[in-house]
Amino acid sequence: MHRVQRWIDERLNVTPIVRAFLDRKVPGNIGWAHTLGSATLFLLIVQVATGIALSMSYVPSPDHAYDSILFIDQTPFGSVVRGVHHWSAGLLVLLIGLHTLRVFIWGAHRYPRELTWLVGAGLFFIVLGFAFTGYLLPWDQKAYWATVVGTNVAGSAPVIGGSILEFLRGGEQLGAVTLARFYGIHVWVLPASLLILVGIHLFGVIRQGIAASPRRRPLVAPDPGLSRRAAYDLEYAAEKQAGDPFWTSLVKDAIVAAVLLAFVVFLAVAQGAPLDGQANPNSTDYVPRPEWYFLDMFQLLWYFTGGLEPLLIFGIFTVGAVIFILVPFLDRGQARHPRQRPIAMGLTAVVVAGIIGLTWLGAAGTPAGVVKIPATAGMTQAQLDGLAVFNAQGCTACHEINGLGGHTGPGLSKAGFRWSREDMKTQIQTPKDQKMPAYDGLPPAELDTLLTYLESLK
Amino acid sequence: MTEQETPVTELEAPVAELDQQVPTGSESSRRKFMIRVMTILGGAIAAVLAIPVVGFITAPGWQSKTPHKLLSTSVAPTLRSNEWTSIGKVADFEVGVPKYVVVDRNIVDGWVVESAPIGIQVVRMTDADVVVFDPHCTHLGCPLTWSTGAEAFVCPCHGGSFKSTGEVVSGPPPRPMLRYETKTEGDEVFIGTFVAEGA
Repeated sequence: MHRVQRWIDERLNVTPIVRAFLDRKVPGNIGWAHTLGSATLFLLIVQVATGIALSMSYVPSPDHAYDSILFIDQTPFGSVVRGVHHWSAGLLVLLIGLHTLRVFIWGAHRYPRELTWLVGAGLFFIVLGFAFTGYLLPWDQKAYWATVVGTNVAGSAPVIGGSILEFLRGGEQLGAVTLARFYGIHVWVLPASLLILVGIHLFGVIRQGIAASPRRRPLVAPDPGLSRRAAYDLEYAAEKQAGDPFWTSLVKDAIVAAVLLAFVVFLAVAQGAPLDGQANPNSTDYVPRPEWYFLDMFQLLWYFTGGLEPLLIFGIFTVGAVIFILVPFLDRGQARHPRQRPIAMGLTAVVVAGIIGLTWLGAAGTPAGVVKIPATAGMTQAQLDGLAVFNAQGCTACHEINGLGGHTGPGLSKAGFRWSREDMKTQIQTPKDQKMPAYDGLPPAELDTLLTYLESLK
Repeated sequence: MTEQETPVTELEAPVAELDQQVPTGSESSRRKFMIRVMTILGGAIAAVLAIPVVGFITAPGWQSKTPHKLLSTSVAPTLRSNEWTSIGKVADFEVGVPKYVVVDRNIVDGWVVESAPIGIQVVRMTDADVVVFDPHCTHLGCPLTWSTGAEAFVCPCHGGSFKSTGEVVSGPPPRPMLRYETKTEGDEVFIGTFVAEGA
């Protein structure tokens, strides 16, 4: 072993570089939260490895894509590789989000690491781009309809929406051209961008060193005579003085990577990767529903209707993205400790709560339309008939009963308690509110049982 | 492993050193000139490469005929055909009752030119007048179904619904359902391309 190492070293002389890398001092208090960055990198590597393997048996054409996925799932280890690719993709979105959050709370985006944040923000969008384009490739129902909705959301952009939409789809329609484009973007454009940006990101991390944990009071008493760079260097040198060599923190990274891998391999072996029926552009009863990490955006679309919608939606998405990218230039100042940045921390809490809340609502409210309210014990025959009408008419698309169904209309869990039979009858047949279509075509017998059912909800 | 200890070198940036070791005098102007020539040449090479590559990739974007999705037919993912396709006889459809039919059309999807099944909603308005809709919500393209109870096309995504005439009843859809051009020859009904907005 030593002889091989010496042989290589006489030619490449890498040992000093490796030693310098491993032995350099980094600030103290490098805890488990700091493993989020390396965990994100680890999952990216997992994605590249499994993705390359999948590309060997995948064909990006509507004629063959779905069958090639079935073939992959039948090949030894195929479903595991595809499962790991699927589950670690979701985990990657979560971890890159947590990593970003950690960096922001620690104030690690501050001087002199602004550029590292900018590149990191780019990586965040690349990961979302991977998720969005990867979706379509299996060419199953979920893939097809999520892409219909996704490209139409992008197409809602003011002025340039049409161009964006046709750029993504490769034309007006969604078909063979779209699939080939998404594949090209997924396996070439995004990975190439990823490689470049990860390189710059890591270069920045190593050149500037890991940001020290925020302190309420600096180690070195501030000297107003010093330049910003000199003051920073002095403080960072003191942090490193109090710190440990880089290699001391590597085991934590490895443990986290091992746990994550175990988790996705377990899911892949136990569950495989989900696959709907083959994409059917003519199905009329499919309820499009995105992966969990896009549910928050999907849910937002409930709240903005009318002509202003594209502007509002795009305003939120675009302005949100721009603010996110520009964080290091908006959140400046000396104090990095979260307790000294109450406004920034408050806003962060609001955003995080909003994302979690919208995702939760999206998960609870969809799939609307096909949700069937189950019968409960003790219901009379008339109530059961009414429930059947309720389910058959798709009322759950907008109304929720005991947690099942949409949220456009009022919840009906206590309908019989809140409204009289007559009021409900009027509302169903001739709604006052424009949002509800008039169900005036219901046969009287069905309407009668429906009202009996609704009346029983108390 | 060699016995001697290699000193730990700093990897972090010593910013002040970046500007050192820059040549001076005629050497300096020659150096500047060379770097400038290299930059210009490199830029030209990159541009020559980038124009066809980026142009090819983005062609569908700048070729797009429709400036804005809301005004375009692009909201429907449906594969397009440039031909007239028979969808049956007028008598096949009951007045006022939408009927979902799947017809085979000769579609063009990039390099794919083939006969493909295309779903349509056919509404016979009066004895002679047949209107054919694309069954996708004009909000985000989710699939519409006809609800007999509501007498409306309903969308499962965000609660949009449309009358049998295609007009919006509720929800976020910004415009009526997309219609196909139709023509009747004898008692046979044909569909063509989508009716452009405002037509």
